[in-house]
Amino acid sequence: MTAFALPTPRLVSADILKLRKNLGLTAVTGVLTFGAVFVTIAIMELLHLTDSAKHGPAGGVANLGHIAFLISALGTAAAATVASRAGSGDRDAGIYRDLVVTGRSRRQLFLSRIPAGWAYLLPFVAASYALAAVASVVFAGSKPVPDTRLLVLTGLWVVLEVTFFYLLSIAVATLVGSRYAIGLVLAFRLAVSPLLASISALGVVRELVPGVALQALTPAGLGNAARQGPVIPVSTAAIVAVLVVWTVAALRIAGWRDVTRDA
Amino acid sequence: MNTTSISPYVVETEGLTKRFGERTVVRGVELRVPRGAAFGYLGPNGAGKTTLIRMLLGLTPATAGSMRLLGLPVPKQRATALARVGAIVEEPRFHGHLTGRDNLRIVGAARDGAAFGRIDSALERVGLANRADDRVKTYSLGMKQRLGIARCLLADPELLILDEPMNGLDPAGIQEFRGFVHSFVEEGRTIVLSSHLLDEVEKTCDHVAIVDGGTIVAQGSIAELRGGSGHLVVIEADDRERARRVLAENRSVERVLDDGALLSVSVLDVHAIADLNRRLVEAGVAVSRLEPQQASLEQRFLEITTRLENAA
Repeated sequence: MTAFALPTPRLVSADILKLRKNLGLTAVTGVLTFGAVFVTIAIMELLHLTDSAKHGPAGGVANLGHIAFLISALGTAAAATVASRAGSGDRDAGIYRDLVVTGRSRRQLFLSRIPAGWAYLLPFVAASYALAAVASVVFAGSKPVPDTRLLVLTGLWVVLEVTFFYLLSIAVATLVGSRYAIGLVLAFRLAVSPLLASISALGVVRELVPGVALQALTPAGLGNAARQGPVIPVSTAAIVAVLVVWTVAALRIAGWRDVTRDA
Repeated sequence: MNTTSISPYVVETEGLTKRFGERTVVRGVELRVPRGAAFGYLGPNGAGKTTLIRMLLGLTPATAGSMRLLGLPVPKQRATALARVGAIVEEPRFHGHLTGRDNLRIVGAARDGAAFGRIDSALERVGLANRADDRVKTYSLGMKQRLGIARCLLADPELLILDEPMNGLDPAGIQEFRGFVHSFVEEGRTIVLSSHLLDEVEKTCDHVAIVDGGTIVAQGSIAELRGGSGHLVVIEADDRERARRVLAENRSVERVLDDGALLSVSVLDVHAIADLNRRLVEAGVAVSRLEPQQASLEQRFLEITTRLENAA
């Protein structure tokens, strides 16, 4: 039980339990991920079936890109929701002090929340992307069908984007509490990040914006279907550096704050 | 129950101080809690009771001073010490959407592996076995208090620290809680119970520290504190004014209180009581009653705090 030890599997399981048994959280996460994808695909296919001259099929490469963008955007909202609950749920419920008085290190308590929330969120994101992938093939009709490589790359990109904003959200939630974390992260993801990327006067500074790095990682095979705003060429090294530095810095600050403030 | 240390005290503090900015909430506290005692930490609201408990448990750092829990220095060996400590700080809180059993699983996961094996017996012990799989948000305050005790028992604690545990409980709940405390003490565990309720501490505890303004003003066994520095005698006389003058001239009389019907006299030497009676009679005071009394903790508390106010 040292200060630098990793959290035990039992501790992570306990954190997953808190999230899994929260029916409200499960409903919101389900609606924002699988539910949104299902409804979007269903509407697109119904429109196609009712008026195929005006509306194309729900599948194909372009629609995979559109749905992937939808998952990444709404998945960020789901990630922020789950992360805020995972990051500050114990404090909000007033039981954080009861965990601290067990003698367990605060660092372990903080670290155990990170994989727990991600393990809870990932099946929702994976299921929604699996639905999108299957629909892109099954409902492709006359449109180009995505190949296996594109499907895998797009899936990895979606998971990376959602994971990045999940980690950022859990850091923000630990720092400021759940009520503000969701709003701050969504504002950053959907408004601030695209806005900064569009200001060409910022020049190379834009490469420091994580949204730019994630956009640069969008699979080329999707074309512009999954992109928001201009594409700024960034080197792979810069992409990795930006994402790692943002993630590590946010989590280190949150971890330090969590360990040092009164329980 | 195995013990972790042979120290006669389970809690020892030296010069423990906590300041929030310019405000000193806990001021140089020297606390000694004997092993196996039901120890009351008694003081009015705002006296710094909860802050002291939060420091002992590592929830907030001390500004100055040192602490030992179960003979181990904290925060240096906090993890080892707290492994055998159970605590309820302020009111017991839980995840309302989880069952009682799930809430214990969560805390059990933060403790060592053996804690998981104690969940069922802890629920049984506090009488919640049949409600263990109900969501906590459906529990009454008394049930949450009992679940809080069950949570403490997961540690098989040598020391239980309970902060104002009687708050909000109905008389039956208080009676039940008192029963828990007595049974834990019989098992060799030490209980530290902070409270602003004099009567409750007197009924539940055998040792007490009286705290006021962040400082301990008295500590010892309840019997010692009841006794104070003197012996209490109640005198009923026909002329109380003359009796007071006679008593005031006697060096063995520490203090005389007149409640309008009786005189309560604090006497330094028990052997002087007969002499007092003789002097009163010789002074022409008809004494119809002279009865030694056992002071209540409340009387001693008021006496101590009055003395402090007078000294200030």
